[in-house]
Amino acid sequence: MSDPAPLQINGTTIDATFAEAFPMKATRLVITAHTPTWALNAANAMTGFATSVIGCGCEAGIERELAPGDTPDGRPGVAVLLFAVSSKELAKQIERRVGQCVLTCPTTAIYGGIDPATSRAPLSDVASLGRGLRFFGDGWQISKVLAGTRYWRVPVMDGEFVCEETTATVKAVGGGNLLLLARDIDAALAASEAAVAAMRKLPNVIMPFPGGVVRSGSKVGSKYKGATASSNDAFCPTLVGLSPRSELGAEVGCVLEIVIDGLTDADVGLAMTAGIVAATARGRAAGMLRISAGNYGGKLGPYHFHLHELAAGLDGSRA
Amino acid sequence: MSTTTTLRVKAPPGFRVDAGALLPAPLAELSLNEIERIVLPAGNERCAVGDVFEVSRSETAAARAAADAPHTPHTPHAPHIEHADATLVIDGAEPWLDRVGAHMTAGHLVVHGSTGDYSGLHMAGGVLRIDGDAGHFTACEMRGGRLSVAGNSGDFAAGALTGDMEGMTGGTLTIHGDAGARLADRMRRGLVLVGGDAGEFAASRLVAGTVCVAGELGPHYAYGMRRGTLLLAQRPVQLPPTFTEGGRGFDVFWALLVRSLAREITPFSQWRTMKLPARYAGDLAVDGRGEILIAG
Repeated sequence: MSDPAPLQINGTTIDATFAEAFPMKATRLVITAHTPTWALNAANAMTGFATSVIGCGCEAGIERELAPGDTPDGRPGVAVLLFAVSSKELAKQIERRVGQCVLTCPTTAIYGGIDPATSRAPLSDVASLGRGLRFFGDGWQISKVLAGTRYWRVPVMDGEFVCEETTATVKAVGGGNLLLLARDIDAALAASEAAVAAMRKLPNVIMPFPGGVVRSGSKVGSKYKGATASSNDAFCPTLVGLSPRSELGAEVGCVLEIVIDGLTDADVGLAMTAGIVAATARGRAAGMLRISAGNYGGKLGPYHFHLHELAAGLDGSRA
Repeated sequence: MSTTTTLRVKAPPGFRVDAGALLPAPLAELSLNEIERIVLPAGNERCAVGDVFEVSRSETAAARAAADAPHTPHTPHAPHIEHADATLVIDGAEPWLDRVGAHMTAGHLVVHGSTGDYSGLHMAGGVLRIDGDAGHFTACEMRGGRLSVAGNSGDFAAGALTGDMEGMTGGTLTIHGDAGARLADRMRRGLVLVGGDAGEFAASRLVAGTVCVAGELGPHYAYGMRRGTLLLAQRPVQLPPTFTEGGRGFDVFWALLVRSLAREITPFSQWRTMKLPARYAGDLAVDGRGEILIAG
């Protein structure tokens, strides 16, 4: 349950509320290439237009860049995470995005990045990676099993596109979030950028929106028939005094949201804590006034991330 | 704690003995008396284990150290899972002992000495280590696990039984010495490493899989090879006429292959990704998607 007593860290108020998150299906893919630039090119293309499952089919992002020693083929790489609402949709998105964005990108190869033996996230099932893409080889493709893993070698114009046949998927968590309420746009952007930078240092999470930040936070439902989501008027600064749901005080001039998807709820919680630390480090003096979170009353999502619990170990004071 | 059962040969029986019933996990479940009463087929004869072997047992964690192999493969659904790490040592084995480790699914089987034919036949898991030589049909139709022969192996290693369509379909066979004729004939999956030479028709009719030979090859190697990889440390005197210069641009596959061999025997473990081998594709008389890689 939410703690009613407000908490302040460096002058920033932490609301007594919680973020509500949902189960998702996810996988990690490791893209390698001849140079880090080309691995990033493929990763950026693959994770493009993947901000929200509402309209993109999946949420995806770059988890981290990998040194050559950390990839299956010893080349520089990038780890990306993909999240979808179902195994079927995840498999569809993997095949479509790998086929259009990685297979096409010079020098790339792609591998599953979830190790079933060590995954802390519960395993879900196995999704096709190269199983369908191999047919691009038009009969020239070659299967190869090395150390128990099946790869496909598909001839392409720069050599071979090598891909693992399948990737393991896990039961993951999507929709962790922080709402950063700031004095103005500059303060909100600076705090958001600091928070996202801190979160990106952590493994197993992505922030799928542009730059990791979303300004169009949404609520469930709409006055218009057919729209499943609409603007979160409670946090729109232009609706102060107009919307009966407004939660903004007179000082708040801008609100930005950071959405976090993670392989486990612990990963999401750690990322949210890192975001709180980074945002509150700027503090009220830098215009970072309040941190809140989005939820649906706790009735829709099984994962509740209470801000006061996440900030419990931080140097704060109760008013 | 692991169980180590030791069978020490008392005296050669004078006839060939089928050792297929002597497997680590099943024997770990039996008492010494029960083991001694196991009847082994021996051609037209039969013999009890107790007639041929002196049976003993120890249950120490350290006792298994001698059987340790680089990798212990995971064998899903292996029976006798409570004794999956059991060790069986056959001491003083000689070539009259056939079918050692046949149908083995789990555990460690260490043979001090040489074995007869069909060692590791249909082996699906566990580790079989033969300190000496092995006879014909070693790892024949092997499906999983690791089998290593410190000495030489006879003909048809990793191949198919007469009339069968597929040879080895999984696991790793390592022959430190020489291999006989028809190495990996009709092999479909898995890894075969030969530290010495291979006889005639090596990798013939290969369906898929990887065969690595450090030494020289006999005639007609890669005959009828459909898919798969024949990796050579030495350039053969002559390439098969039905193979063609097989292109470039397989750097990524080579990197994966080299890294997968990093914990195997030399010279394969010493190779690095920087130097790309010469590649020849074939056998064009059949499917033509196989490859000979010459790394030497």
